[in-house]
Amino acid sequence: VNWFTDRHFFLLAVIFYGLSSAYSVFLWRKGFRKDDRVNYLLLLAAAVLHTAAMFLRGFNFNQCPVNNLYEATVFIAWTIVAAYLVIGMAHQLRFLGAFASHILFFMGVFALMPALDPPHTSQPDFSNGLTSLHAALIFLAIGAFGLSAVAALMFLSEEHDLKFHKLRAIFSLLPPIQRLERVMNGLLLCGIILLTAGLAFSPLLLKQKYGVYFKNDPLLDYSIFIWLFYLALLVSRWKFGQSGRRFAWSAVGSFAFILLTFWGFLLLSPVHHP
Amino acid sequence: MNVIVIGLSHHTSPVELRERFAFADAKIPDALKSLRDSGIAGEAVILSTCNRVEIYAATSLEPAKAFAGLKQFLKTTHAFDAPLNEETYTFAEPQSLQHLFKVAGGLDSMVLGETEILGQLKDAYALAHRHKHTGARLNKIFQRAFNVAKYIRTHTNIQRGSVSVASVAVELAEKIFSSLDEREVLVIGAGEMSEKTARALLSRGARSIIVANRSRERAQVLAQEFGGRAVQFDDWAAEFEKIDIAISSTSAPHYILDRAKLEPLMRARRHRPLLLIDIAVPRDIDPAVNFLENVYLYNIDDLQSIADDYLKQRSEEIVRCEQIIHERVNLLLETKSSVDFADQRKMPFSHLRKSAQSAD
Repeated sequence: VNWFTDRHFFLLAVIFYGLSSAYSVFLWRKGFRKDDRVNYLLLLAAAVLHTAAMFLRGFNFNQCPVNNLYEATVFIAWTIVAAYLVIGMAHQLRFLGAFASHILFFMGVFALMPALDPPHTSQPDFSNGLTSLHAALIFLAIGAFGLSAVAALMFLSEEHDLKFHKLRAIFSLLPPIQRLERVMNGLLLCGIILLTAGLAFSPLLLKQKYGVYFKNDPLLDYSIFIWLFYLALLVSRWKFGQSGRRFAWSAVGSFAFILLTFWGFLLLSPVHHP
Repeated sequence: MNVIVIGLSHHTSPVELRERFAFADAKIPDALKSLRDSGIAGEAVILSTCNRVEIYAATSLEPAKAFAGLKQFLKTTHAFDAPLNEETYTFAEPQSLQHLFKVAGGLDSMVLGETEILGQLKDAYALAHRHKHTGARLNKIFQRAFNVAKYIRTHTNIQRGSVSVASVAVELAEKIFSSLDEREVLVIGAGEMSEKTARALLSRGARSIIVANRSRERAQVLAQEFGGRAVQFDDWAAEFEKIDIAISSTSAPHYILDRAKLEPLMRARRHRPLLLIDIAVPRDIDPAVNFLENVYLYNIDDLQSIADDYLKQRSEEIVRCEQIIHERVNLLLETKSSVDFADQRKMPFSHLRKSAQSAD
């Protein structure tokens, strides 16, 4: 059906994210005492629609759908939900969905703003496989940072309950906080590996396009800053035993910073918007 | 045959009387045999635990007559001369079935919802079954009772949570640490409660227990029992680098651990999570240590309040459980009536068959 575009599929996915977000509030109010299967299924349904939207867009343009802000946001959100669906297969970690759904819903609504999805030009920003891989790896990295922030939110909520002797801490079906910390750490590590791999392609792409290995560009500088920040975060954990609340707040804060600033630097970048 | 029950439990009689009527496991088969030989019961099961002694019997006698017989049997078996009135209870169908289902589900237990009784009931039934003292009637209702107990456990919150301080402490530890397998526990002051808590942690997989007590001998005895080691009481702080859980129950009149003392210890242990359980009164640990990152402090009141809340939650489930039991008993009785009706209808034919066979 021609009138039913990939954006419609994504809109349906966002509706499911919204339902999941609302159901998550119910789970939270109930103290996470019920199995999170319903939320998992809601997010699974959303992920199917979300994947369909991405496939449709990808096949329409015959390339990885990461050409504008809409596609970038959709890709990052997809990474988060896909990683959640894998991690959520572990019964106790399924409650990550209750925290992820709000971020996914927020990202979905943001992505659907019409100005973020201008028609493709005859000369797309990412015109070959290497560029698509570069963009995909970076967005996957951001997705991993996003899910790590979700685990950190869950950690903070449970840690607060444990510290202040709230009954919810013990009555809930949430996983132990040490396991959440491990998940958080693992996802940050995945994120930094993916980001490193994605950024490693930058000099090659700049050489192809501009004949230089390095070019001063807001998004490139921003990406290096993000890379350094996450690296420092992980080093502080390994070297100085940084853990617990402070580590979790760092994971949440840094992802919130990415969410709020990434799109601005993308728009400011002449390399990515020639 | 109707199923009846006679018994004494913690609800109706003191421990002195219950222990007087208790049956040793080895003597139950003989008791069941003599009960059946007496003609009071066609089938029987004896349940004897520290909180109850009950006889479940399938009998074709009138309930009043059967109860009198069972009471006499109890008195004779245990050489008890005094009268038994309020101390015992008797139920005929359908209350007897409801009672059995309640017992199986832990609804009649001293600790509401506890699961140990189900195991004891299964053992009692298995013993009677092994010695062929049960038949179609008791087999069916006991199997149904076990099913109902399982259903209640999985579909209600009657058995959810810990209702003792020691098990609440274990549950807390499981909310903090990924697994208790590699956890080291330090017991400061070897009191009864700290011993129970350490034992509960050990049973859930804690790796080792270190005991620090003013009496070195007591520390060594306890450490040996736990397979751990004893340290000098004054050296307990030196253990903080390795341990994950500390249980404190000394009789010190002041705090033995405060924020100033714990801060450098936390640095030394690279801020790994630390669960502090303070079960001493007066308290051993300054509540201000809870403000330190990765430190989780619970005192006896906190643990007791969680245990009480669990108990309250269990009490709220009683109505749901009773409704389930009521429905299941009705279903069982309906099945029984239809089987009885079918038996009655089959009877003339079997009579004819028998006549035909004799004619042959």
